[in-house]
Amino acid sequence: MHPFELHKAASAGDAAALIVGKADGKYLAGGQSLIAAMKLRLNAPSDLIDLAAASDLKGIKSDGKTVTIGAMTTHADVAASADVQKAIPALAALAGDIGDRQIRNVGTIGGALANNDPAADYPAAVLGLGATVHTNKRAIHADEFFRGMYETALESGELITAVSFPVPQRAAYLKFKNPASRFAIIGVLAAQTPAGARVAVTGGGSGVFRVADMERALAANWSAAAITHVKVPASGLSSDLHGSAEYRAHLVGVLAQRAVAAAA
Amino acid sequence: MGGTAIVKALDKVIAKGRKIAAHLLEAADTDIEFKDGKFSIAGTDRSIPFAQIALTAYVPHNYPLDKLEPGLNENAFYDPANFTFPAGTYICEVEVDPGTGQVRIDRWTAVDDFGNIVNPMIVEGQVHGGLAQGIGQALLEGCVYDQETGQLLTASYMDYAMPRADDLPSFTVATTCTPCTHNPLGVKGCGEAGAIGAPPALISAICDATGARDIAMPASPHRVWQAMQQPKAA
Repeated sequence: MHPFELHKAASAGDAAALIVGKADGKYLAGGQSLIAAMKLRLNAPSDLIDLAAASDLKGIKSDGKTVTIGAMTTHADVAASADVQKAIPALAALAGDIGDRQIRNVGTIGGALANNDPAADYPAAVLGLGATVHTNKRAIHADEFFRGMYETALESGELITAVSFPVPQRAAYLKFKNPASRFAIIGVLAAQTPAGARVAVTGGGSGVFRVADMERALAANWSAAAITHVKVPASGLSSDLHGSAEYRAHLVGVLAQRAVAAAA
Repeated sequence: MGGTAIVKALDKVIAKGRKIAAHLLEAADTDIEFKDGKFSIAGTDRSIPFAQIALTAYVPHNYPLDKLEPGLNENAFYDPANFTFPAGTYICEVEVDPGTGQVRIDRWTAVDDFGNIVNPMIVEGQVHGGLAQGIGQALLEGCVYDQETGQLLTASYMDYAMPRADDLPSFTVATTCTPCTHNPLGVKGCGEAGAIGAPPALISAICDATGARDIAMPASPHRVWQAMQQPKAA
């Protein structure tokens, strides 16, 4: 790890002010990706703005139609939240299966989204449920937020403050896990949202994406049978030692059908 | 091997202990027998416990110093006359998800013959450990190198799949006993059994489930799925 300056923010506003003027400043949320990257010297920010004490970034609110989760809310808290379990059980289950217990106690939704790991679970939830990412500057809909592997629409210094999820009619997330890292080789979230049927896929290699052909079929008929004929091309997907692009393409189909069937 | 070497060294310790006991009991050492932890004059109830012999050996006030060195310290070497031949049968039941190639081990029964067993708890632990290693080899673990650069791709546990508790079923482990005929304890090796028997049992079960003739280890979901895309063996 290269040396850096650590600054502790007392609030979201404080954090946004602290990052101004730093040579290469980064917000530190749960650190579950950032600290690991810094240890490997893959990332070497000059300054870290620690958000741990910013209590205005934590918390979960639900009004029956929308669930809003503060950016610094841990995966464990989302999974255990009675509000999330009641309104969007698929989201609670997804959060409860991220990484392992230790990671879930520290990792946050804001950090996960800002990082946008191509095999992360939360991007599938946000894109699949049609959520909105709120920052200290604006509101960004899911369809505009994800720009590819580790890339988002966030501008330099922009801070995610919360994520608001419209409550879906039904939804389910299924993840096929890499046997070693337990990251998603492919993860699919299927949801019938107020804005229509949505299917989001993570693990493909270049970041989370929607499958329009499946969404069209499901809008007419929400059933696994409706999408058995839809094949995702292997050409956009990655091959690695855990699976070829063809295998990933096959898994998208299998997991999407199973997610549709599981969505109550 | 260690057990028999210890037995032979102890035989020498007891032989020396007899001489010390003979001196203390004022008898001939041929009249001394060692039984139940005591040295006694055969046919009488005059005896001395082992601990007192050991104390005498190291605090030799009443001791034949002109004939015998103090101490109770012996070496023995043991070169086995032959290998031992532990044997066993393992039965493994798996469920294979046809959509993904994922293998789940439903049940595992391991019966081994290790001859006489000195510490049953440790032996069961040895088998559990061996099974975990054998299942790891067959199902999860593998070093992968980039074909062009020689770079190790499975360079951390993020890519090298070490078996974890939730990858494994609860094992049913049992033993039968055919004592080894050429060592005094009648024991056979047990440490490697699990790692030897597990991979063939598991791969055979996966082949049986999928109709594949063979699947290279590790039988990752990707490999099993690829094998299932081939036409089935006749």
